[in-house]
Amino acid sequence: MLKILIPTIMLLPTIWFVPPKQLWSSALIYSLMIAFSSLIWLKTPVDTGWSFLNLYMATDSLSTPLLVLTCWLLPLMILASQNHASAEPINRQRAYIMLLTTLQIFLILAFSATELIMFYVMFEATLIPTLIIITRWGNQTERLNAGTYFLFYTLAGSLPLLVALLLLQNSAGTLSLTTLHYTPLSHLTSYAHKLWWAACVLAFLVKMPLYGAHLWLPKAHVEAPIAGSMILAAVLLKLGGYGMMRVMTMLEPLTKELSYPFIAFALWGIIMTGSICLRQTDLKSMIAYSSVSHMGLVAAGILIQTPWGSTGALILMIAHGLTSSALFCLANTNYERTHSRTMLLARGLQMVLPLMAAWWFIASLANLALPPLPNLMGELMIISSLFGWSPWTLLLTGIGTLITAGYSLYMFLMTQRGPLPPHIIALDPSYSRENLLIFLHLLPLLLMMFKPELIWGWAA
Amino acid sequence: MADYREAPLATRPKTLDPNEYFNLSPEQRRAEEARGALRANLKRQYQLQLNNPHRNELIEDPALTRWVYARTNPYTHFRATNKTSLLGAMFGVVPLFILYYVFKTDRDKREEQIKAGTYDRKFSLSS
Repeated sequence: MLKILIPTIMLLPTIWFVPPKQLWSSALIYSLMIAFSSLIWLKTPVDTGWSFLNLYMATDSLSTPLLVLTCWLLPLMILASQNHASAEPINRQRAYIMLLTTLQIFLILAFSATELIMFYVMFEATLIPTLIIITRWGNQTERLNAGTYFLFYTLAGSLPLLVALLLLQNSAGTLSLTTLHYTPLSHLTSYAHKLWWAACVLAFLVKMPLYGAHLWLPKAHVEAPIAGSMILAAVLLKLGGYGMMRVMTMLEPLTKELSYPFIAFALWGIIMTGSICLRQTDLKSMIAYSSVSHMGLVAAGILIQTPWGSTGALILMIAHGLTSSALFCLANTNYERTHSRTMLLARGLQMVLPLMAAWWFIASLANLALPPLPNLMGELMIISSLFGWSPWTLLLTGIGTLITAGYSLYMFLMTQRGPLPPHIIALDPSYSRENLLIFLHLLPLLLMMFKPELIWGWAA
Repeated sequence: MADYREAPLATRPKTLDPNEYFNLSPEQRRAEEARGALRANLKRQYQLQLNNPHRNELIEDPALTRWVYARTNPYTHFRATNKTSLLGAMFGVVPLFILYYVFKTDRDKREEQIKAGTYDRKFSLSS
């Protein structure tokens, strides 16, 4: 555990002391080495509890895929930001990479935390670098509004969680995840206990986001620079899912009664946000709403508390993280060429950038959950377990899948097919950096087809 | 008749000239000419930008900018009329209650069946 964490912490002084010409290449190679060495975490016997233990941190089958995803994403973020950050003074570039690295450190600590208060502190700590990235390096004036929405939605959701955790500490005596699963908590169904249940899950539902509390997400994703969008879509949303999965095990008898409204929100949200997606004009906004839709499915999968539901949720989280991040990178390649996110402005790109069109194709197919990619595996497991929970959910998830396919294809056809607008005359060819970036996103996705045991948690 | 188009450079005889034909007043004709002049100026601006050899970015279309802004900021101009309130309730509030009711009754029915021992586990592999 420390073998990964301490190099990541030491990346911070490296960034500040390396000569300017070697800043991006050294940061990239350093973080790539950390990412490859984080693959060690995958080699643990599945289903046998905590591994790589130290006093405060440990990994298990739930947190390992998310940790590897987090570590994998840092070199990708550095690769993606190289172009738009090159126009800035060198110290600001160093500050940018430093923010990405501190975000990485907090995320590693959050996913590997065994103590719930440590998880909470890291959960909140990830807000700060993300807020700075969005409000300082975003491209439009709306970024301030976006940062405000992002910060206050998440904070308002998570302050009740702090109170709930402290109450739990008082009653159970410990908040260590290693023992909390086995501590019987005597639950009466008084109103206060129901409020406590709601306080525990609300923070994670806002983070995921659940449909009713999702307003921060399109703003934050659209206004953030590419690295901000990548880390938001790929990992920060999953922090909510992971937190919920950890916390739900101790909320047990209450969940059977209290989860119905949230499942209704999640399922209806899949359809509503999918339909909103079909009406979007802004490419990044479309990918953001698609994220809300997929995470609605994940939320429903976690809330029904069945083994297949949780497994499907974890698989979908990993697969969606890679796919969404790849789509944001592709949208960024568009943005860097035309400086506009409007889909109508940059159409017919297949004629001009055919390799990029191939990546768009694969990423769009992954987004609409094409078999045999893990996206389908996760969605299918969640849909099946929801059907087992109540057959009526099939209406909603079925229509949701249809709409997902609709808007994914719409996004692909709108940007790649059709006539090239006549006034586009000077598009840079696809850089090797961009091709490498998308390839590194899609390669793990394709490899996971062959060994899904890595990402399916505790499914025996 | 509908497909007929005049030859582009030909002049029309006076009896077929639309201005005379429809008895348009001189003010209307002047207004038409002024609007034509504005359109021609806009087209000239576009052509200048289109054919500028030093341009390497997109030509900005103000109509597209306005349309995108209108599409992305509906809430600042939102007014709660009867129609919008009804739509909001129909799509945003009522379905949640319907779903809660549907899931709750379905699950409660199943729970009763399980408690009574009559629940038919169709896909059970262990019996």
